[in-house]
Amino acid sequence: MNKVKSILNDYLSFPRYIMMHPFDGYDEFKTEKKGKLSVALVFIGLFALLRILTYQYESFLINERNPMLINNLQELFVVALLISLFVTANWSVTTLMEGKGKYKEILMVTGYSLFPIILIGYPALFISNLLTLEEMAFYTLAVGIAYFLTAWMLFMGILNIHQYGLFKTVGAFLLTVVSMMVMMFLGLLFFDVIQQIIAFISAIIEELGLRR
Amino acid sequence: MKLFTYIALLFTLPINFSIIRYNYSYFGDVIHSAPGLSYAQTFSERTLGTPLVSPEDLVVYEDFIYIISSGSNKLVVVNDNFNLEHSVTHFPLSDAYRDRLFETTPLLQETLVDYRIATIIAINEARANAIATIQALPFLETEQRAAFNTDIEQLNNTFIATIQNNMLPSDIRAIQQQANTTYSTILDQAFDLNEEQTVEPDPEDETETEDPVVKPAPVALVTQPESLAVLEHRRLNAPMGLDVKNTGIYIADTGNRRILKANHNFEIVDVFSQINDITFDNLEFAPLKITTDTTGRMYVIARDVFEGIIELDTDGSFNRYTGVNPIRLSPVDIFNRFWMTDAQIDRLPKFLPTSYTNVTMSPENFIYATSLASSNNSDNMIQLINPKGIDVLVRNGYHTPKGDIQFIEGMNNFVIQGPSRLVDIALYRDGIYTVLDSRRSRLFTYDSEGNLLYINGEAGQQLDKFSNGVALGYFGDNLLVLDRELRTVIVYEHTEFGQKVNQAIYHHERGEFELAAMLWEEVLVLNTNYEVAYSGIGKFHLRNGDYQKAMEYFQYGYDKYYYSRAYKSYRNEIIKDNFGYIFLAILAIPAITITLKQIKKRKDR
Repeated sequence: MNKVKSILNDYLSFPRYIMMHPFDGYDEFKTEKKGKLSVALVFIGLFALLRILTYQYESFLINERNPMLINNLQELFVVALLISLFVTANWSVTTLMEGKGKYKEILMVTGYSLFPIILIGYPALFISNLLTLEEMAFYTLAVGIAYFLTAWMLFMGILNIHQYGLFKTVGAFLLTVVSMMVMMFLGLLFFDVIQQIIAFISAIIEELGLRR
Repeated sequence: MKLFTYIALLFTLPINFSIIRYNYSYFGDVIHSAPGLSYAQTFSERTLGTPLVSPEDLVVYEDFIYIISSGSNKLVVVNDNFNLEHSVTHFPLSDAYRDRLFETTPLLQETLVDYRIATIIAINEARANAIATIQALPFLETEQRAAFNTDIEQLNNTFIATIQNNMLPSDIRAIQQQANTTYSTILDQAFDLNEEQTVEPDPEDETETEDPVVKPAPVALVTQPESLAVLEHRRLNAPMGLDVKNTGIYIADTGNRRILKANHNFEIVDVFSQINDITFDNLEFAPLKITTDTTGRMYVIARDVFEGIIELDTDGSFNRYTGVNPIRLSPVDIFNRFWMTDAQIDRLPKFLPTSYTNVTMSPENFIYATSLASSNNSDNMIQLINPKGIDVLVRNGYHTPKGDIQFIEGMNNFVIQGPSRLVDIALYRDGIYTVLDSRRSRLFTYDSEGNLLYINGEAGQQLDKFSNGVALGYFGDNLLVLDRELRTVIVYEHTEFGQKVNQAIYHHERGEFELAAMLWEEVLVLNTNYEVAYSGIGKFHLRNGDYQKAMEYFQYGYDKYYYSRAYKSYRNEIIKDNFGYIFLAILAIPAITITLKQIKKRKDR
């Protein structure tokens, strides 16, 4: 019974508390170590699962996705890649900007901030199948609120975890986006170069094989 | 026999597979589909027996097919057996139009009368010369002389009679030439006769030497006044467009920069060459395509005119531009232009609205127009312009009607790139229309809702293919495609599949959903991928109150609007059936929770 209560507290009450009282919540999150990495990772996993389920089971009336093109692995990778990119980029930017947050904390903030999407997304996904075309506006509104709350939690989390002011946080976010782009560019470059090197080495091996 | 069938299949299968049989699914994927049209027969300039160099337009009116040829400058009329009925190269003026010319042009009639009189005088002079010469011939007998004289007199009378009521200056001129030549041949005969009957004069009698009779020179032709040229037959010069209605035949005579209106005896009723609009102050009016409404108002597409379709009144006066093709600037363009000076903007490449390629009038006086795709907008390549000038085409299909949806852009030289190039549109019954894509030589047929029904055609030189389609028209239930390069008209008929689809739409338009649904079922036997059919069957079930089945079919047919309606009814049905339980739950749940809380409170106390 106690265990159930603590799980409920970890997964529902505390994230809700952060959402409603971001300053106090994130203070406890950081100083009293109330935030848990496992919770954040579960949230990220649930978010990926929600994306897959939305792809397949969103109401026919609003789902414009081609069911023949669903790719679960791709969805998982997209979530993992986006979050790891954001966390890494934010960490590298805030380290230079005297942020107080650690890498693990940024990851946890990102995971916790997905809480509204998960809390609203799953029921909304189910309810969307009970709505007509005219009532679908409620669903889009609910999803919109969920994303807005997530953005709010993420913003407040970054602000508190690094102990920044308002404008510094905005600046940090902008720089994070820039550095995410730079990282993506480097990544693509890296893959391209690696491909060429592999092609080169395989050509040499082939050549050697023929010379024997 | 079996072996023979297999061998025959071996040869015909590749041909059957090579025929393009596709359609676009809801998601824009190319999926297999049955073709709606198939080759029936063909007729060309060889079977018609008349040269038809670069035919440009084809119009069906009543039981005749009118084809205009811009290379041979003629109008060809083909009957329903695909045999040549008429081939018209020059169009005489109708009496009414000539009278109007006489009224409007000063001195025209007087000049014509003067010209006639002058010609008659010249002919009379020629006659007088001829008679005088015959009189002068010494050895002719009196009867012979009289015979020649009566010949000449008779001819003269007929010549003058024909001239007197002739309205054609060139005819009058030809008669004078004829008079000159016939008189000289008569004189030649007279001279020959004279020669035969010559009595050798006494060689000793040298005093009686006469001057030999000399044949008179033909009388000089009376010069034709230039102002009379308007009375001549009209000839075409590179005509590009044509329309035939019960008000007459309208020809866009592009090379002569005018529109000819003729009646059904191919007599000119009116000529329109001056358009009173500021656009044509420094631009020549070169009409390309024309269509007319039931009252005879003309809707013309002219070369290098970007304002839209020119609307001319029945008397040829300019009314307005209709159906303007709007251009859209991208935000980047607008931003760039904001900073530029006027001089800089002038040096930019001009953003011109795309020009229309063809117009066709529907029986309700709505204009179906096709246009080229502009660089950033290919959604209004087919337009239905209402009398107010607004595009009202229904685009409720899975995709906007614009020919091919998937195409390659700027890839290589081996595939045909870019969006479809629609050059003509033909109307079938029940709002079904077909457009012709000249880039890939394909035919796309849509219904009035904008659903893509079937795709046909393939580029090629074989009998059943066309390589440069320029015009198309429905001839009864057959579709005619005019090929400019091969100078052929290909006749397509509906396949079983196409017939059933059209029939189903016919019933659907009349609200006979059950008959339509039965036909859609048959269509689905022929082509299971046909998503439009599922939606049609769904509508039948929806009317019947079979909501669950309707939802299933609408889901197959991706018809969200009707799915939503069916679902709403279905949901209401469930709520109605279980209203008692639902109401009970609404009452019971709060009641139970309250009592539970109360019990807990008491226990705690």
